[in-house]
Amino acid sequence: MTGARLLVRSESGRTSSSTSINRARRVRPERLAAYVLVAPSVLVIVGLRLWPLLLGVNFSFTGDGDRDGLAVGLDNYAELLRDPVFRIALRNVGLLVLLLPVAVAIPGLLATFLYLRVPGARLYRAVYFFPAVLSPVIVGSIFTLLLAYDGPVNAALKTVGLEPVDWLGDPGVAMFTVAAVHIWATFGMALVVFLAGFATLDSTLIDAARTDGAALRQVIWHVIVPGLSRTIQFVFVTTMIGMLTSMFGLLYVMTSGGPGGATYLPEYYIWIQQGQMNRPALASAASTVLFLVMLVVGLAQIALLRKATRED
Amino acid sequence: MSQRAVWPALLTALLVVAGCGSASGTGSSSGQPSGKLVVWDWKSGDKAASGYVQQAKADFAKKHPGVTVEFVAQPFDQYYTLLGAAVQAGKGPDVVLFNGGGQIRDRAASLSPLDQYVAQDKTRLAGWDAFSKEGKIYAAPVTLQGHPIYYNKALYAKAGLDPEHPAATWADFVAGCGAIKKATGASCLSLGNKEGYGIQFFMSGLGSGILTPGEYDDWIAGKRDWQSPNVKRIFQLWKEANDAGLNNKGPNSTAMFNDSFSLFESGKAATVIGLMSDIGHWKDFGEFLKPENVGATLAPVVTQGAVPSLAYDGGIGYGIMKWTKDPALAADLVRSLTSTDALKAFYTGAGAIVSDTTIDASGSGPAAAKIVAAIKTGKPALHVALSAKTLDLMGRLSQQLLAGSVTVDAAMSQLAASDKSS
Repeated sequence: MTGARLLVRSESGRTSSSTSINRARRVRPERLAAYVLVAPSVLVIVGLRLWPLLLGVNFSFTGDGDRDGLAVGLDNYAELLRDPVFRIALRNVGLLVLLLPVAVAIPGLLATFLYLRVPGARLYRAVYFFPAVLSPVIVGSIFTLLLAYDGPVNAALKTVGLEPVDWLGDPGVAMFTVAAVHIWATFGMALVVFLAGFATLDSTLIDAARTDGAALRQVIWHVIVPGLSRTIQFVFVTTMIGMLTSMFGLLYVMTSGGPGGATYLPEYYIWIQQGQMNRPALASAASTVLFLVMLVVGLAQIALLRKATRED
Repeated sequence: MSQRAVWPALLTALLVVAGCGSASGTGSSSGQPSGKLVVWDWKSGDKAASGYVQQAKADFAKKHPGVTVEFVAQPFDQYYTLLGAAVQAGKGPDVVLFNGGGQIRDRAASLSPLDQYVAQDKTRLAGWDAFSKEGKIYAAPVTLQGHPIYYNKALYAKAGLDPEHPAATWADFVAGCGAIKKATGASCLSLGNKEGYGIQFFMSGLGSGILTPGEYDDWIAGKRDWQSPNVKRIFQLWKEANDAGLNNKGPNSTAMFNDSFSLFESGKAATVIGLMSDIGHWKDFGEFLKPENVGATLAPVVTQGAVPSLAYDGGIGYGIMKWTKDPALAADLVRSLTSTDALKAFYTGAGAIVSDTTIDASGSGPAAAKIVAAIKTGKPALHVALSAKTLDLMGRLSQQLLAGSVTVDAAMSQLAASDKSS
C-alpha cells in the first residue's frame, strides 16, 4: 500500500521526471521484501497443505484394486452415498453438532460456579482440568473397563436396583457414551478458556445486578452470558473442531466403530477403508467429503464470529 | 567381491544365467553377490519369535553370506495401513508377512507369484490355499491357523460331564451348558464380538457341524448360496445361542482380543472357539488352566449329515513384493523363513502350530495332540474364503443380530449381495 501511494504521489507531483523514476525504483525492493517475507509460510501452506490436498482430491477420482490409477469419475462418491456405514458416520457428525451446546454448556456452567467462588472452588478447578492431560487412549481404556457389562458402573446400577446397561455394546447407547466420555475428557481445556474470559468480565456489573436483586439465573443469563459472548463463540469453534477431528482414539479403543457400525465417524471410516479394506481411493473420496463438511461448518462459524464482532 | 571368492565354482556355472538377470530355476541363484533385503512383519519384535528369526537368518546367511537382512517389526494394528502406503508409493520392503485369506488375496496384484521357487516345499508344508489366488501362490505358509473348540475339563468334571468325551451333538452341547451353568455359574461360551470377529470364529468353528460336506466344499470353491437353509442356520444359531444365554453377558462390548480369552482362562466360561497359533490357543490357555485341563474338540453336529472337521488354513506366511529387484534372492529368504529348523523354533518358542508337517507335536498336552491329529482331515475355514469387505459387513451384521436390530433374512441378503460383488 505504501509503495502504491508513493507512486501515485510522484506521478501527480510532476516536479521532475528523474526523481519520480528514482522513487519508483527505490520502492521496488521494499515490495519484493514483502513477498520474500511471506514466501516461507506461503510455500509451506501451498507445498504441504494445498498441493497434497489437490493430489488427494484428484486421487479420489481414481479407482482401487483392479482399477488402480484409472479415472473413474464420481464412482467413489456414488459408492460413499450408497454405503450405509458412511451415512451413519455423517449422521453421527450431525449428532455431535447437536450435542455441541451441551459440550459448551458444561464447562461454561462449571466455570461460572468457580468464578462465583462456590466452596472448594480451588480444588474443583484442579480436578476439572485433570482429565485434559490424559491421552484419549488412556481415557478410552479407563472407561472401557468402567463401562464393561460386568464392570463397576453396572455393578453400581445393580445395587440401586436398576437394570445393567450395555454402554458400549448397545447400538442406541454407544455413540452417546463415547461422546459423553469425550466431553468429560476435554471439557477442562474449555473451562480454562472460560475462566480466562471471566477475568476480563467487569465484576461491578455483577455486583450491581445483585444489588438490584437479580437471582443467580438472571445474573448468568443477563450479565455473564452477554459479557462472555466472544469467549463462548471461541469455545464453540474449538470444541466443534475437537469433536470432529479427535475422537478417533476413543472410538478405536472403546467401540472399534461398533456395534453394527453405530459409532462410526468419517475419520474412522477413512482409516478402515484405507488400512483394512485396501481402498485408498475410496478413503480419499471420504476425506474430501469430510474436508467439505469441515469447510462448511468452519465458514459458518467464521460468519457467526464476524457478526458478533460487528455487534461489539 | 568376497562372495565371488567363496563361490567360484557356483558362479562359473551360473555366470551366463546370472549375466542375463534370469531368475528361473530352483531359486538358489547367487547372481547377486551382495545387497540388502528388508522384511516387514509384526512378529520379529516378539520375544517368543526371536529363536525363529535367528534360525531363519542363520539359514539364509549360509546360502548368501554377503546379503544383509533387515527385519522391520511393524505394529500389527497399523500393519496393513503402512503396507498400503508402501504399495501406493511403489516401493518398500522386499519380503512381507501376510495373514492368509482376504488380506493377501486383496493385495495379490502387488506381489510376485512364488510357484517356481517353492516347488520343493509344497509337500512338506501345509496351508498353501490361504496364500493362493487363481492358481498362483503368493506366499509360503509359516503357521497354520484355525478354530478348534477349547473347553475347560475341570469345569466339565465339576458339572458331572465326561471331560474326555465332550458333546457330539448340538442338543447335548446345550444340555451340558445348562449343567455347567447350574454347577459352576460359568457361562457356556466365551464370546467377544466387539471387533466383529466373534461371528468369524463361530462360523468356522461350528460350520462343519452345520453344513453338509458337499455344501462345505462348494462354499470353499466359491459357490456360496446364502439363502440355503443350512447357511442361514449358522446365523440363526448365532442369534439363538445368545438369546438362550449361552454366551457371556455383553458380547458386543467384549473384545475378543483378549477379554473373551481371559474369560475362558479365568474359568468364567467353559468353552471358547479359539485359535491354533499366535494367541488364544492351547499354549496360552494351558498356562492359566494347566495343559491337562484344556481340551480341544470339533464342532458338535447340528444338522443331520454334517461331518465335523477341523477348520484351518495357512495362518501367516511370507510373500515377495513385485518391486523387489531380485525375486530369486528374496524367494531364498522366504524358503529360509519356512525351513524346518526355523519353524521348529517357532513351534517351541511361540507355541504356534506350524505349517511344517514333519515336526512332531505330540509332547505338548492333549489339546495340541488333538489339533495336530485333526489336521489331516481338516478343511479350510469357512470365513477365510470371504473377502475383507464381506467379513467387515458380516462383523457389523453379527453385532446387529445380537442387538436385535436386523433380522437373519435381511442379514443374509446383504451378505449375499456383498459376496457377489467382491
